[in-house]
Amino acid sequence: MVVSICVGSACHLKGSRDLVELLKNAIEKHNLSEEVTLTGSFCLGECNRNGVTIQVDGEICPGVTVEEFPEFFQTKILDQLGKGAT
Amino acid sequence: MNDLCADIGYKSINHYGEQLCGDHVDVVEQEDGSTVIVLADGLGSGVKASILSTLTSKILSTMMAAGLSVQDCVSTMVATLPVCSVRGVAYSTFTIIHLLDNHTAELIQYDNPHIILLRNGKATPYQKTEHRVDNKKIFFSTIPLQEGDVFLAMSDGCPHAGIGNTFNFGWKEEDIADFMELITPIGYTAKTLATMLVDECDRLYDSKPGDDATACVVRIRRREPMNVLFGPPANRDDSGRMMSLFFSREGKHIVCGGTTASIAANWLGKQLEVKLNFELDGEVPPIGSIEGVDLVTEGVITINKVLEYAQDYVSDNLAYQQWSLGRDGASLISRMIFEEATDINFYVGRAVNPAHQNPDLPINFNIKMNLVKELSECLKKMGKHVKISYF
Repeated sequence: MVVSICVGSACHLKGSRDLVELLKNAIEKHNLSEEVTLTGSFCLGECNRNGVTIQVDGEICPGVTVEEFPEFFQTKILDQLGKGAT
Repeated sequence: MNDLCADIGYKSINHYGEQLCGDHVDVVEQEDGSTVIVLADGLGSGVKASILSTLTSKILSTMMAAGLSVQDCVSTMVATLPVCSVRGVAYSTFTIIHLLDNHTAELIQYDNPHIILLRNGKATPYQKTEHRVDNKKIFFSTIPLQEGDVFLAMSDGCPHAGIGNTFNFGWKEEDIADFMELITPIGYTAKTLATMLVDECDRLYDSKPGDDATACVVRIRRREPMNVLFGPPANRDDSGRMMSLFFSREGKHIVCGGTTASIAANWLGKQLEVKLNFELDGEVPPIGSIEGVDLVTEGVITINKVLEYAQDYVSDNLAYQQWSLGRDGASLISRMIFEEATDINFYVGRAVNPAHQNPDLPINFNIKMNLVKELSECLKKMGKHVKISYF
């Protein structure tokens, strides 16, 4: 699974860096580093008022915020990989 | 005409407690490609010295540039300078570097510490002929230029640094030459070299300089073009034209902006990869890479930081330690366009990015256009040739 986080101008100002940290930590915590590749990307063309655009494989998820991150990680990453809640 | 050019930079520190500097550097560029650089050190310090040195450097640079003889210049200067009421003399020392078409340097030196010439990274002695003009001992030299030559002109505040404090007799000129031999080969700009030298003087003076100290560095280097692509074109159909013009130019290529980078990657048929390394406490977004492009960065935020560095560079040059070592996009661009480049071509796209029109974000279209304008002003002050093309 390839997860790319937008680090373009707008997303950067809305906190890409924090989300990169959150993702790195969450991936480590769930021992997913073998399965998930983290990468950056520039504008994915789905800019939103709030939050950062993250692309999971082909699917673009705009507007991910730090508050919504746990839900995003659960539904878009853990569920997709077939890992249950922990 | 050859493909050499001169990178000129200088920096001064003031006598402790003084607001004005008694040293003055003046650079006059002629249309025929010759340049006159004058460093003058006025007697004493403060207002009086400042007036003396400013007058001296202005008179000499203007008259020399107009092609008048040194004899005339010096006698005009002596006749014009106001006489000091305390000491009964009108006096300012000077050093003139006259670069002819970037192939020969004429040095004319009066009472300042002698110019240090570094050739192939080593301090190199050169011939001086002594002449008497109006009873003043003036030294003349003519030196054919080579790529990599560095000329260091100083006021006596530099070799006097640390007198009776750090050193018994100040910072000896041989030791200054050693210091320069150490830092010159790294490739710093003239301004940075001058800053490093003067910073070292300030340190030796224990931050309380007993005299105004000035260093002026002239670096002879090869012309180095650099091309910067910033923003997608206002009309989508112009992308191909913009890319082919940009990539056909000689020199290195920098691409700034996310959308711009994807257009460039597309045009080249290469993959755009973006890294996730946040440097500089994440102030500037991470950089990317495209095969065939020398540097890929984010747009507005990165360029904004570059502009900050540029504005600092042309004033106090306090941030050079930050950008000369940093690995973030802004530092990388700064090193490439402040240090490496002599001619910079901007290819600026005028497309409006809908993501930037969010009133909550401190970026918008006008800011983007102003960034380029202000940055090119700063680059011109650094002595760079700048060309901007809009799309």
